[in-house]
Amino acid sequence: MLKVEGINVYYDKIHAIKDVSFQVKEGEIVALIGANGAGKTTTLHTVTGLIRPKSGAITYFPEREANLYDLTKMPPHKMVEMGLAHVPEGRRIFLQMTVLENLEMGAFCKGKATKEDLDRVFARFPRLQERKKQVAGTLSGGEQQMLAMGRALMSHPKLLMLDEPSMGLSPILVEQIFDIIVELHRSGTTILLVEQNAEMALQIADRAYVLESGRVVMEGVGSELAASEEIRKAYLGG
Amino acid sequence: MVFLSFINNLINGVSLGSVYAIIALGYTMVYGIAKMLNFAHGDIIMVGAYVCFFMVSSFGLNPVFGILSAILVCTVLGILIEQLAYKPLRQANSLAVLITAIGVSYFLQNAAQLMWTSNPRIFPAIFGNGGLQLAGGQLMVPYKTLVTIGVCVIIMVGLILFTGKTRTGKAMRACSEDKEAAQLMGINVNRTISITFAIGSALAAVAGVLLCASYPKLIPTTGSMPGIKAFTAAVFGGIGSIPGAFLGGILLGVIEIFSSAYLSTELANAIVFLVLIVVLLVKPTGLLGKRTSEKV
Repeated sequence: MLKVEGINVYYDKIHAIKDVSFQVKEGEIVALIGANGAGKTTTLHTVTGLIRPKSGAITYFPEREANLYDLTKMPPHKMVEMGLAHVPEGRRIFLQMTVLENLEMGAFCKGKATKEDLDRVFARFPRLQERKKQVAGTLSGGEQQMLAMGRALMSHPKLLMLDEPSMGLSPILVEQIFDIIVELHRSGTTILLVEQNAEMALQIADRAYVLESGRVVMEGVGSELAASEEIRKAYLGG
Repeated sequence: MVFLSFINNLINGVSLGSVYAIIALGYTMVYGIAKMLNFAHGDIIMVGAYVCFFMVSSFGLNPVFGILSAILVCTVLGILIEQLAYKPLRQANSLAVLITAIGVSYFLQNAAQLMWTSNPRIFPAIFGNGGLQLAGGQLMVPYKTLVTIGVCVIIMVGLILFTGKTRTGKAMRACSEDKEAAQLMGINVNRTISITFAIGSALAAVAGVLLCASYPKLIPTTGSMPGIKAFTAAVFGGIGSIPGAFLGGILLGVIEIFSSAYLSTELANAIVFLVLIVVLLVKPTGLLGKRTSEKV
């Protein structure tokens, strides 16, 4: 449903993303893994239009629709309507707004946040319901990640893009977040996961791409990559 | 007698402060969302006052129509300025935007001078010369004062409700916190900024009319000093905060009137800015400003 072909991204003169191609098929969990600074976040920002590529193509084609969308031309605020939701690195929730208001912003493209949508998110993240009147800045790191994901779910995404959901969380919370990702996937959401935590990401990914200095250096089935000698040495600590 | 004159000064202070507050509300909203100091804001006040002046004095129209035309012209002007002067600089550094804003300010003043000359015009008494008699006729509160204070309170409450309850208002707060994240929610950031400029400029028009109703001498630089003082008021109350702009404006007006009544007319402005400096030394975020803490 998403096809990225040979994109090149520059920050001024720095060639940050070099000829990166990958695709996500409907119903998959695809992981982009790699070290800090490999270009994972930049790649994701390019997909959602926050950065524009100098060359290359990004197309989005939800299966039940006949349409093909050129994402390199689409303004970022239009993408949510198309079913693309991006949970950015560092959560980026609205810290001075309440939990409820954050969720309402997630449903902005739909007009009003419906009660069913709120209930659906609260059922998945009961902690958010308990704290719905609280200002988001007072939440713990794990709760903030849940809010960021809940906020994205308010728009009924077809493709959910998660950028480093495990960042800064304790191992138990990371487990929890990954369990939720798997559940979301089972309930029919396609997932593009950007992770530094390669071990966790490869456990749940159908396929994965390894980025190094802005290039895709390896790709394959999640479990096969997890077993490969090179990946073990470089990313899994032995 | 001393007590009555104190009350009289207080009312005048609150009235002047209300005008500052309305201007400061516009400053603070634009700053909060566009993260820029729109130094041309004061000159939009002047344009609003001129429009109302011509409608009422030259064309003999009803003051209500004069005020509405001022609001309309200023709203359009605000959106135009944003589109032509500030939008192309969205990615530029804040110094470039600041200098542009100062440029727009001078442009408006000089354009006004060219079109309307620098001869002072006397703004009509659109709220009449009557007033409310209090304390057995010893104290008169002019209607224009009552209108000014009332309008200011209505505007502040209206803005709090707008940003707190409506979809567009909440989107503004989201943009003010994090524009990229707001875009990812499907919020059109450019449109939100335009709406903010429209609201701020409409408020400037109202402020211009109210200012000139109390201080009727109208020249092309009429808006400049109140604009700077209202900016001071916004910083004083905590820039970005709506109740802060209101409180800062009222306090600034009261301090100014009291200083000139009891201390020295010449030093009134100096005292106003001295108070600002002291407040900022003690509380750098302003009276109601929030310190933003971020969790990573």
